Amino acid sequence: MSNPISRRKFIGNISALGLASTLPFMSTFSFASDLSSPSNIVNVGIIGVGSRGKVLLLNIQKIQGIKIIAVCDNYDTNYKRAISLTRNTAKAYTDHRKLLENKDLDAVIIATPLHEHAHITIDALNSGLHVFCEKSMAKTAEDCNAMVSAALRNNKILQIGHQRLFDPMYHKAIEMIQNKQLGSLTQIRAFWHRNRDWRKPVPSPELERKINWRLYEEYSLGLMTELASHHLQVANWVYGAAPISVAGFGSINYWKDGRELFDNVNLVYKYPNGNHLVYDSLISNKHYGMEVQVMGDKGTLEMEKGNYFLEHPPAAPGILQLVNDIEKGIFETVPIGGASWVPETANKVKPTKYHQTQKGLPEPTELQFHSFANHIRENKIDEENLKHGYNSSICAIMGHKAMLENKVIEIPDNLRM
Amino acid sequence: MKDIVLKGKNLKRELIIYLFCFVITTGMNIYSIVSYDTKWPELWLSLPIVFLLSIVIYALSGLFRFIYFLLKKAGVHLNILPLKK
Repeated sequence: MSNPISRRKFIGNISALGLASTLPFMSTFSFASDLSSPSNIVNVGIIGVGSRGKVLLLNIQKIQGIKIIAVCDNYDTNYKRAISLTRNTAKAYTDHRKLLENKDLDAVIIATPLHEHAHITIDALNSGLHVFCEKSMAKTAEDCNAMVSAALRNNKILQIGHQRLFDPMYHKAIEMIQNKQLGSLTQIRAFWHRNRDWRKPVPSPELERKINWRLYEEYSLGLMTELASHHLQVANWVYGAAPISVAGFGSINYWKDGRELFDNVNLVYKYPNGNHLVYDSLISNKHYGMEVQVMGDKGTLEMEKGNYFLEHPPAAPGILQLVNDIEKGIFETVPIGGASWVPETANKVKPTKYHQTQKGLPEPTELQFHSFANHIRENKIDEENLKHGYNSSICAIMGHKAMLENKVIEIPDNLRM
Repeated sequence: MKDIVLKGKNLKRELIIYLFCFVITTGMNIYSIVSYDTKWPELWLSLPIVFLLSIVIYALSGLFRFIYFLLKKAGVHLNILPLKK
């Protein structure tokens, strides 16, 4: 295995970051079994080895305690790539049901298009396997409920791929929020902007919908399930709750190329105590990129960059203020007439970096599989992770519904974990 | 080339002028702490700034003294000012 991580170093890093303090499920690391022990190898199969599936496969290959013994994809190019990436060591399938019959499997990793998540997850759980399913959980609330029910009924782990839950920078931010370093929170503003058509090259026209499934209603909810769900999960984590209602607008106003799903979405989610999440996403301008801005009366966090801004930074020493005022008195012109209003442009306070990435620590995408494997070894359902996966999926689904129906959607209690 | 001879008397005068500048700057620091309602530990925490500012004031005083010297010399040359004997 490439890039092995010693248990001592790995657990040391996790403890040093205090990850266990912000999420209960991270505590499994503190009493994890030896990750390098062959007796604790978790055998997994990967279903769906497209672009995301490939990333997951490469991350899993770095982990000594997990072995990929099966791969499955019904698209020939991905099928062959999966065989090549696993150097023929994994058994390859084109039908997930055949893969589920493999008795050596402990778990499956599902990275198929969204509309396939629910039924494959339920099949796997009913086959007695633990499941790691990429976000979002499913395309409908009914499917999300069915997935959770199947996990609980079969007493198997269902983990949803929200890697920010395993990112030390996010954990530090949550810790700062819990310690009231931002004061009282009232709003989160999140956005994800790109400037590309979100298409993949299609070798022949009949494969258009299979390859570009993110653009069609039958398979996905577009920007909401494929991008927004990450930030929705973070917002729920920050507020410690799931929203109660959502309103928004969505349009196809730039990429008018036959796609069915919005290329421009704007939503407001309302949380139980009146807090808001203002979210937008578009794929026709990338100037602002992506960010989650958490605003409190004492400070602001930019969670993607790891920036912390104080609302009222400590004043400069008195002597500097005096010199500054003398300088202003001498050099500043006295306006005789002019604008009586000064634009309230953004604060120019310099940010503090609240987290430094530690060398030697695995990426969050890899860390989530360490956690998954540890939960399997302990046969312990990761309820906190499942809650995050479920709530963020429901948020994405309800947001899409609000935009489609052009009305405020109340999210019922029974759709919040 | 003429050697510059720094006499003890001149050195003492310059030191006194600099000390005077330092006292003025320290006074400014005390005034700013009171008027901007900042913390008293700034009295010593801001010493590097006070020191820097005192050098700036001393340099300014030197500039003014030099200008005065030039004016004085020009005045004598034009017979405007009587030269002390």
